[in-house]
Amino acid sequence: MTSVLATGLGMISPLGADCKTSFAAALAGQSAIRRASAELSAGLPDLLMAPAAAEPLPLLESGYAGSDRAAQFALAAAQEAMADAGISQAPADAGRFGVFVGVGFGGAHTLDAMYARYCATLGGDENNRRRAAVVHPLSVPRMMANAPGALISLRYGLRGMGNTYSVACASSAIAAGEAMRAIRHGYLDAALVVGTEAMLTPGSMVAWNALRVMARVHAVDPAASCRPFDRARSGFVLGEGAAALVLESRVRAERRGARARAELAGYGASADAGHLTQPAQAGQAAAMRQALAQADMEPGQIQYVNAHGTATEVGDVVESQAIAEVFGSASRQLAVSSTKAVHGHLIGAAGALELALAIMALESGSIPPTAHLLDPDPRCTLDYVPLEARHGCRIEAVMSNSFAFGGSNACLIARRAEP
Amino acid sequence: MLAQLIKHYLITSAKVDPAKFDQPDIKVADLGLDSLGLIEMLFEVEDKFGFQIADPMRYQSMTFDAMVADIESQVRAHHNGELPDIAAFDSPAGAR
Repeated sequence: MTSVLATGLGMISPLGADCKTSFAAALAGQSAIRRASAELSAGLPDLLMAPAAAEPLPLLESGYAGSDRAAQFALAAAQEAMADAGISQAPADAGRFGVFVGVGFGGAHTLDAMYARYCATLGGDENNRRRAAVVHPLSVPRMMANAPGALISLRYGLRGMGNTYSVACASSAIAAGEAMRAIRHGYLDAALVVGTEAMLTPGSMVAWNALRVMARVHAVDPAASCRPFDRARSGFVLGEGAAALVLESRVRAERRGARARAELAGYGASADAGHLTQPAQAGQAAAMRQALAQADMEPGQIQYVNAHGTATEVGDVVESQAIAEVFGSASRQLAVSSTKAVHGHLIGAAGALELALAIMALESGSIPPTAHLLDPDPRCTLDYVPLEARHGCRIEAVMSNSFAFGGSNACLIARRAEP
Repeated sequence: MLAQLIKHYLITSAKVDPAKFDQPDIKVADLGLDSLGLIEMLFEVEDKFGFQIADPMRYQSMTFDAMVADIESQVRAHHNGELPDIAAFDSPAGAR
């Protein structure tokens, strides 16, 4: 089976408008988390958000103004990844080049705006009331979950097989893993993988708030409200943005002289079949073991894990125990961090974003910290790289975990691409 | 007024060549709109006058002027025979 190389990375995240600035902010532990605006909070006090550092539309060609924000983020991240890979529009082998997208809840902005208009118009003056049922004819193709994938495929003329995976917080980790498999098994020679999410809308915010998983505002510094693995953690902060990776078979990449940023070497996926929202150690461990087996690696060969680390009470403990179970004695030399402390939880985009950050750690030898980790939960016993980045590390391989509501677990391993 | 509204949309948003409208009997089919483009154009009118125009695909076989006349008759049918001044209708937030 051919090995699969990552030859391009892109992102537009709460930390920055591109990979370089986002990774630098992650290393610096610079939090993008802030109080949510009044328009987003529906009168609820103390909601937090991690908005993207840049608007996506000005980064794109004109014509995407009506597209859902999730699609705009996806296009912006894809653009950087394709440029990074040095691939221009419609490659000659476009039929062997697919688009794989992960999104938790596509079209949230379109749907929210549609309902907001509907309700406002129905409740408005009599002259306008009849207009309530007149909605934009592209509402459906804008809000459909596969809109980002469709627009990317159109934009670059990519005609190979591809899919949109909606697996909550594991969406784009699974998109990356499935794309890797499709290339390994010979269905494709290349894939553009994108994770995207844009649901900082009033409707989404009140729904997430109702689930009681959102972080409380830190009394002194709202930016420090998301505290993975800390005793004082209280949940996550919803973020928005997208990340993209260009994956190619080694043969294709070598033929065109592409620079490999990493090899995507292992993918594991499992289902807990236990609880709708609560994580399970066994399922998470199973995903990690599968990824290691597929990469033909021992736990001791991984130096850094970008944890799912959502800063929920149960999630951080279960993930720590699962990592300890899988890595055994090797966990003593393992660095584990959750960058969600600074970029928030990008749900469908989280897997691709965190994989890309982990790959940049692999390339640079610099490990981003778990920001705001002052007082570790005694049940979380790993080395979480608290507060400060670690530089000059010798990193051969990294792991990125993504564990979703619904009990879907995904684990990806990237390693140095041997020449 | 309706003709201006629709032409303005077609030229600025749908990127139809303005020179096409110099041709007095230009057909809707010659504007280069696909079916989605046609219903997006009709939405410009629907959004302002508060009703959905029936059976949009029949316009493909009409001239532009005949289409505008037909749309105007539909607007009047929904507004007690009047063609309301569109400035009197504010566009609700999120319409686009």
